[in-house]
Amino acid sequence: MNCLLEGNGVKVFGKALHALSRIGDALWLDPTVKGLALRAVNSAHSAYACFLFSPLFFQHYSLGSGSEQGSGSVNCKLLMKSILPLFRCLTSIERNVERCQISVSTPSDRVVVQFFCRHGITKTHNLRFQESEALQAVFASHLCPNVLKAPARLLCDMVMHFPSSQEEITLSVTPLRVSLTNYCEEGKDPMRTMYTEMSLHPDEFDFFQVGVDLDLTFCLKELRGLLSFAESHSLPVSVNFSTAGKPVCFSVEDVVLEASVVLATLMDSESRGPSQPAETLAPVTLEVCGCCCSARGIM
Amino acid sequence: MPLSTQSQADDEQYVLVASMDNARNLSNILKAITFKDQAIFSATPNGLKVTVEDSKCLQANAFIQAEIFQEFTIKEDLVGFQVNLTVLLDCLSIFGGSTVPGVSTALRMCYKGYGYPLTLFLEEGGVVTVCKINTQEPEEPIDFEFCSNNVTNKVILLSESLKEAFSELDMTSEVLQITMSPSQPYFRLSTFGNSGNAHYDYPKDSEMMELFKCTKTQTNRYKMSLLKPSTKALALSCKVSVRTDIRGFLSLQYLVRNDDGQICFVEYYCCPDEEVEEE
Repeated sequence: MNCLLEGNGVKVFGKALHALSRIGDALWLDPTVKGLALRAVNSAHSAYACFLFSPLFFQHYSLGSGSEQGSGSVNCKLLMKSILPLFRCLTSIERNVERCQISVSTPSDRVVVQFFCRHGITKTHNLRFQESEALQAVFASHLCPNVLKAPARLLCDMVMHFPSSQEEITLSVTPLRVSLTNYCEEGKDPMRTMYTEMSLHPDEFDFFQVGVDLDLTFCLKELRGLLSFAESHSLPVSVNFSTAGKPVCFSVEDVVLEASVVLATLMDSESRGPSQPAETLAPVTLEVCGCCCSARGIM
Repeated sequence: MPLSTQSQADDEQYVLVASMDNARNLSNILKAITFKDQAIFSATPNGLKVTVEDSKCLQANAFIQAEIFQEFTIKEDLVGFQVNLTVLLDCLSIFGGSTVPGVSTALRMCYKGYGYPLTLFLEEGGVVTVCKINTQEPEEPIDFEFCSNNVTNKVILLSESLKEAFSELDMTSEVLQITMSPSQPYFRLSTFGNSGNAHYDYPKDSEMMELFKCTKTQTNRYKMSLLKPSTKALALSCKVSVRTDIRGFLSLQYLVRNDDGQICFVEYYCCPDEEVEEE
């Protein structure tokens, strides 16, 4: 795989990496004919993110090279801490980097990231990777009956009111109202917790299709990266979900890229049996294939 | 200036008196070489040289010419002593290091000679502080025997282009490899870290390359831990000259402008880590 990014594209790519780094410690780089997919999953398999850059995003995009066998493209798994530092300072990238070339070299097991900077300076990074299966979450967001769509700004403004330490929030929807509240774990002293609730009228959404009343509780921290990405591109965010306990998908797209974050949600309190101890209040896991981590399966 | 109200008689006992209206012109440049506590001070009628060494492989020198000082009086050809540099810097910023324009700490540094402490008179806003720092017999600075005749490769780069590279260097790499060559890649900095390796290439015709004189292809490795402190000198400087000699010894010379626009120099000498076969 060999691709070339120019100017602003390098910054967008960097922002995608920042968002993905909020999810997990590893990055899957999966080149396909549809484009370059960057994916991450957390260790509990309760959060998955994917940024797909179409070939149009790049100045140049090609899979494989003459010397490679078979279909020619390799799926790479990299440590986030080896690639993120290259894109850490986006303002300096904006100022200095003219072009960026990313290629996969199978003979040497390296992902080569080369920055062509101002004044003729070139920075070449050869990063070790592990060959891996492509990472994929098994989740058909288009089959979800409930869909919300809102400008990123609206969602960012809502989540801004929750402290960054707030792990989980509950999105409560009815056909007449949408509200976000912080989720208080059972067992926590209600007198010592700050309770925040924000409500919106369906009219504030670009698109609102909700059939039932339900409460979706998911981890907010893992969503912030995508919201920040969406806001910097002024893209509307779609929220697709079916019921509590099933994953919720937040996604954005434009002509050259699609990004989505799929989060597991807590099952409804009614459906949780008395046999389940308080410790299993962690969100239900997503089914993610191609990722060899020790993770619990779907409950 | 209040410090000059000291009597003439006092001055006669000192072999070295150096005064500065703005102590920052001294402290800033000394910070560029403070990677070890002990520093060797060598004063001659030309000015002051401060030397810091590390494990016999690295030497940093800061040169402050006599002209930079408002007063520089020396009674011998060479006055040398050793002091704790960290303590000296703490004293120089004893008034808190304020950056309010027009407010600065004035310094008068005095030394009576062998066995006497280094006396600092510091004044700011009418308040005078006197610090006496114990001195020791100066060790002989290492002579790296780096002479212009043996220089094989030399480049002068604008610091701006190197600052970013140095701040991004992969610290998990034990060495910093420097390649200089009359042909590609011309001037290359390389690291070999846990995630992989990285190369920073500066072409000979870059606008950042003020001078390029390379006669032969050389690749040398230097311990990262030894060179990393030079980043401070780089941050203060506007230009840096990088030279290697036939043995692979490295000389880095930084041109530093102080608060008043005057020029001082900082140089670093470093031994190569090991012989490297050309790749």
